[in-house]
Amino acid sequence: MDFLKKRILTAVAVFFVAVNLDFILPRLAPGTAAEIFASGTKLPQHTVQLLNARFGLDQPVFVQYYLFMKNIFATWPPYFGVSYNFYPSTVTYLIGVRLPWTLLLIGTSFVLSFYLSYLLAALSALKRGSKFEFAALYTSIVFWAVPGFWIGLILIWVFAVYLGWLPVFGNVGFDAGSGLNFVLSVIYHAILPVVTLTLVVFGQLYFLLRGAAQEALKSDYVLAAKARGLRNQVIAFAYIMRNSFLPVISLLGYSMASLISVVIAVEFVFGYTGLGDLVVDAVITRDYPLIEGSFFFLTLIVIVGGLIGDVLMLRLDPRLRR
Amino acid sequence: MRIRRISRSIKNASLAAKVGSGIVLAIFVLVLVGPFFIPYGPYDTSSVIDSPPTLAHPFGTDYLGHDIMSQIAWGGDSSLLVGIASALGAALLGLLVGVVSGYYDRLQPLLDGGADIILTFPSLPLLILFGSMFPVTDLLITGILVFVLWPPISRSIRAQVMSVKSRPYIESAKVSGMTNREILTRLVIPEVGPIAIAYFVLTVAAAVVIVTVLQFLGVGNPDIVSWGSILYWSQQFAFYRGDWWWILAPGLIITLLALGFALIGFSVEEIMNPRLRT
Repeated sequence: MDFLKKRILTAVAVFFVAVNLDFILPRLAPGTAAEIFASGTKLPQHTVQLLNARFGLDQPVFVQYYLFMKNIFATWPPYFGVSYNFYPSTVTYLIGVRLPWTLLLIGTSFVLSFYLSYLLAALSALKRGSKFEFAALYTSIVFWAVPGFWIGLILIWVFAVYLGWLPVFGNVGFDAGSGLNFVLSVIYHAILPVVTLTLVVFGQLYFLLRGAAQEALKSDYVLAAKARGLRNQVIAFAYIMRNSFLPVISLLGYSMASLISVVIAVEFVFGYTGLGDLVVDAVITRDYPLIEGSFFFLTLIVIVGGLIGDVLMLRLDPRLRR
Repeated sequence: MRIRRISRSIKNASLAAKVGSGIVLAIFVLVLVGPFFIPYGPYDTSSVIDSPPTLAHPFGTDYLGHDIMSQIAWGGDSSLLVGIASALGAALLGLLVGVVSGYYDRLQPLLDGGADIILTFPSLPLLILFGSMFPVTDLLITGILVFVLWPPISRSIRAQVMSVKSRPYIESAKVSGMTNREILTRLVIPEVGPIAIAYFVLTVAAAVVIVTVLQFLGVGNPDIVSWGSILYWSQQFAFYRGDWWWILAPGLIITLLALGFALIGFSVEEIMNPRLRT
């Protein structure tokens, strides 16, 4: 339990720093929000003052800080203000609408990619030194190196434009209606983004799994299993792969962080209206409340992902329970 | 002695490393020397629009008649420069922090916590944010990339240092009166240095891709030719015009570059880390 306590404490500390950064960063920009809102046009002075008052920017920084924290933690749902861009929708509403889509993408690709890497790594451990292992390794290196958004562009070209099998953009058709039609449309639109993300994550996961599998291959219990005469398949799946999980899961938190960056680019490419796309919009148009809100939730996703990874670690590795 | 060792390890380098180096070298030549030999400038429009790859235009042209090969050759400067510079900075900083936090236990929670926070904060939104707030210069991007990229390096260096620290020869060095600083510079760093080099190479690949993503999203000025900006425009127009080469060429070059560095980096890591050898 010590392990979990320490990890939760670390997570809380990281979260606290992240939330503070979330407050500070948008305010580092030159120019007040009202000027940016005007984006280049000249507003009369009293309008600037009105805008500032509306968005609460005319108050001293400490008051703003207090209000910021209070709105996030003391009210439910956490209130980040009204988006400049999508006025008058509140930030929380916008994020609430888009978050499930992003989670759908991340969740599906992570699971698919995990299975893919697991399978290939197990088979590679079985067929050591073979062409299969060689091919798997170098394929994963290629996918590590390729920019994720470019895979997306190529996939769009081949499957959506040239072959016309899959839709070019969006997360659901305009006329999808509800019920089964809706679900089918969602799946139909999600295929390409999910494939893209899966390939990218595969590139990162496989190398880790392979490293861990090589480690496990050299261990005593594998030697003992071989000496006992167990078949190779059994050794690969039951002994080697089980023990290779750990490094991957312990890095779940950090994989999430880098995955978020890729998800943002992929959502942008596919015009997929999820949280990532929202973040790009918000940042480029300097929509400060939206920036604050989405950063908050992105960091939250990463930290929660890390904690889930730690809890899994605790369950899987008895050595940590002492 | 050292020179002989280095030349021997170059000869023994795996095929992967050689292929990787070859690819990287080829692209470097294209970017550094290409602009002098390619007859078209990157901003020159022509009447040959939407041309698929031909002898005259090996990578084709776009909807305004720009020669894409020329754009790649001229536009690669910033990506490469920023990629290498930021990876260098990140590797040096990561090495420093990793060694210090691995060796001096008291500083470890502080430095490690800092690394943790940077790793958890989503890096791309941060980069885009800074890119849109302040005027985008290569220096700014390099600075932020160094800030974002050093933690992973420092983590593995730290792990390495911690395992080296417990070895007998370090203890005997301490007993025989070497100062900590001497131990670090003469014994520890040469031991972990090669790993830092491997990570440096891998980080260059990552940095180049990140810079491209930023340019692709439109941060900075998309009218300035760069690898990412070519893709920015191609994403908008290529699908309608049917110019598949416009998307393929820049992405392929970036992929090959990253792949080249990845091959070098992974095979160096394989040599350094005997556990990973097949």
